[in-house]
Amino acid sequence: MNKILLASSALLLIGAHAASAQEKTLTISVYGFAQDAFKELVYDPFEAKCGCKLVVETGNSVERLAKMEANKANPVVDMAVVSMADALSATRSGLIDKIDTSKLGNFDKLYDVAKDPNGDGMSIGYTFYATSIVYRSDKVEVTSWADLLGDKLAGHVALPNVTTNQGPPTLYMIGEALGQNTPDLKAAIAAVGEKKDDIVTFYVKSSQLVQLMQQEEIWAAPIGRFSWEGFTKMDLPIKWATPKEGQTGGMNVMVLTKGSKNQDLALQFMDFWLSTEIQTALAEKLVDSPANKEVKVSPEIAENLTYGEETVKNLKLIPSAVALDNRDVWLSEWNAKVGQ
Amino acid sequence: MFHNRAEALALALPAAVFAAVVFLAPVVILLAEGFRNADGWSVSAYTGFLSDPLNRTVFLRTLRLGATVTVVAAVIGYAAAFAIVNLPPKGKGRMIGLVVLPLMISPVARTYAWIVILGRTGIVNQALTSVGLTDEPVRFLFTETAVFVGLLQLFLPLMILALISALENMPKDAIPAARVLGANWFQVFWKVILPLTKEGLVIGGTLVFTGSLTAYITPAILGGSKVLMLETLLYQRVTVANDFVSASVIAFILIVMSFAANLLLKRLATARSKR
Repeated sequence: MNKILLASSALLLIGAHAASAQEKTLTISVYGFAQDAFKELVYDPFEAKCGCKLVVETGNSVERLAKMEANKANPVVDMAVVSMADALSATRSGLIDKIDTSKLGNFDKLYDVAKDPNGDGMSIGYTFYATSIVYRSDKVEVTSWADLLGDKLAGHVALPNVTTNQGPPTLYMIGEALGQNTPDLKAAIAAVGEKKDDIVTFYVKSSQLVQLMQQEEIWAAPIGRFSWEGFTKMDLPIKWATPKEGQTGGMNVMVLTKGSKNQDLALQFMDFWLSTEIQTALAEKLVDSPANKEVKVSPEIAENLTYGEETVKNLKLIPSAVALDNRDVWLSEWNAKVGQ
Repeated sequence: MFHNRAEALALALPAAVFAAVVFLAPVVILLAEGFRNADGWSVSAYTGFLSDPLNRTVFLRTLRLGATVTVVAAVIGYAAAFAIVNLPPKGKGRMIGLVVLPLMISPVARTYAWIVILGRTGIVNQALTSVGLTDEPVRFLFTETAVFVGLLQLFLPLMILALISALENMPKDAIPAARVLGANWFQVFWKVILPLTKEGLVIGGTLVFTGSLTAYITPAILGGSKVLMLETLLYQRVTVANDFVSASVIAFILIVMSFAANLLLKRLATARSKR
């Protein structure tokens, strides 16, 4: 009898162990873009290393944040990558936890600006992007953000809609060029409103710009550096502008879900993603610009990224609190002046 | 067919329960959001929405485009359907196949084709400049015209199919009889064809109008945010402003517009046949 009991207990233990190995699952919530590359360079190697299973949820920021909010009491996602402003929004809604950076071996390798972008210890930057103007160099010369609304580009320019990630940074730089820059972006929105008939379209997806450029619908548009690669493959003389007011951009960050039962595993995953090896692999495939300052890439690769301490330091980023506190004002101002 | 009413109801029950749970209930919950505020039930979301000039512009534009597409689809649809039903059987089959063919292609692909056709270097502009009608390419993309053309192409087959079916059911000798009695072609259409095919027109008109109101891809791609329609505005409110109350108001307006169009078309058809 005892033998039987022992044998069944052993079987139960084995079963329980197998079940716990199966349950070691990390659920991450990420942007939908370049998922094949992320799977090859980040997810698969991490799964092999941790012996765990990675569940990847994708979607745009709003959808993903709404889902996190809906599952607040019983979180499904363990870690997420979002924009700086969305990270602050998640902090304000009580959706995320402070990140214990002492558990991240690669933390000190990050550019200072990526270590704690919102100054609240709740997020860590893993990639940057510069935003500037891409243009047909055989048709025009772009030297200022004000050129977007100038006569030379009238009828040949696409601007990002205020609702996109590139919208507010573009308006911020137009305001800078106009010499009237306030957080409500009023002057820039009014200037765009006056010239709205000269704008071919207010794009919502940067992917549509390559086709518009190819069809000669447009000669110039502000874009994030992550969209640049598509333009370089076109058989057209296309340049990345270095406007005198500088470049703007954005930073994407990692956050840890409040109440997640896998925070240690999530921290391991974050550390893995921030490692020099993984950040280099992502940079070399032009997936993401590195936030790890130890990453070294060839000049040809660097040319297509937001790369190097100087570049990163000179990006004029809109502070998250400004973006968050003014979103509604921007949208209503935009709808009143440009949308009608 | 059924032995009793209970048997028929029992057979319909699974489908009814399924539709109620996965369709009706979520729609009702969503729509209820628009009638609530912090103090309880209220229509303030609706009055607030309609008092915004942008929202009114978008509402009127959606209504105008939906109505124009429906009327033009009916005019072209009658001509095409009449031509098709008078073809010999083999030709009729082939032509119906051609009408149905676009419905098998994704609306995204069909809409993208218009970007190529209507672009600055597209076929239309090439034709216009080569015959000397314009010196500079005309801007079609991201205008109401482009959205109109895209929607018309998208929904015209539905109107043609509805009218073909209606014309097929018309008594074969009605038109010759009217002609023998001295009616001209306009009178034949107005007094014979139209009353006898009103059911098809109501079905086709409702499908085209409702489809134009609720299509998202075509206005988003061909109009962009310069030609906002109610459905693109709804998407904007949800994805950018996370404003589900406005979204529910827009959804309610779209549903009411669809039902109103159906009622109006039915009423017009009945009024005509009573005369």
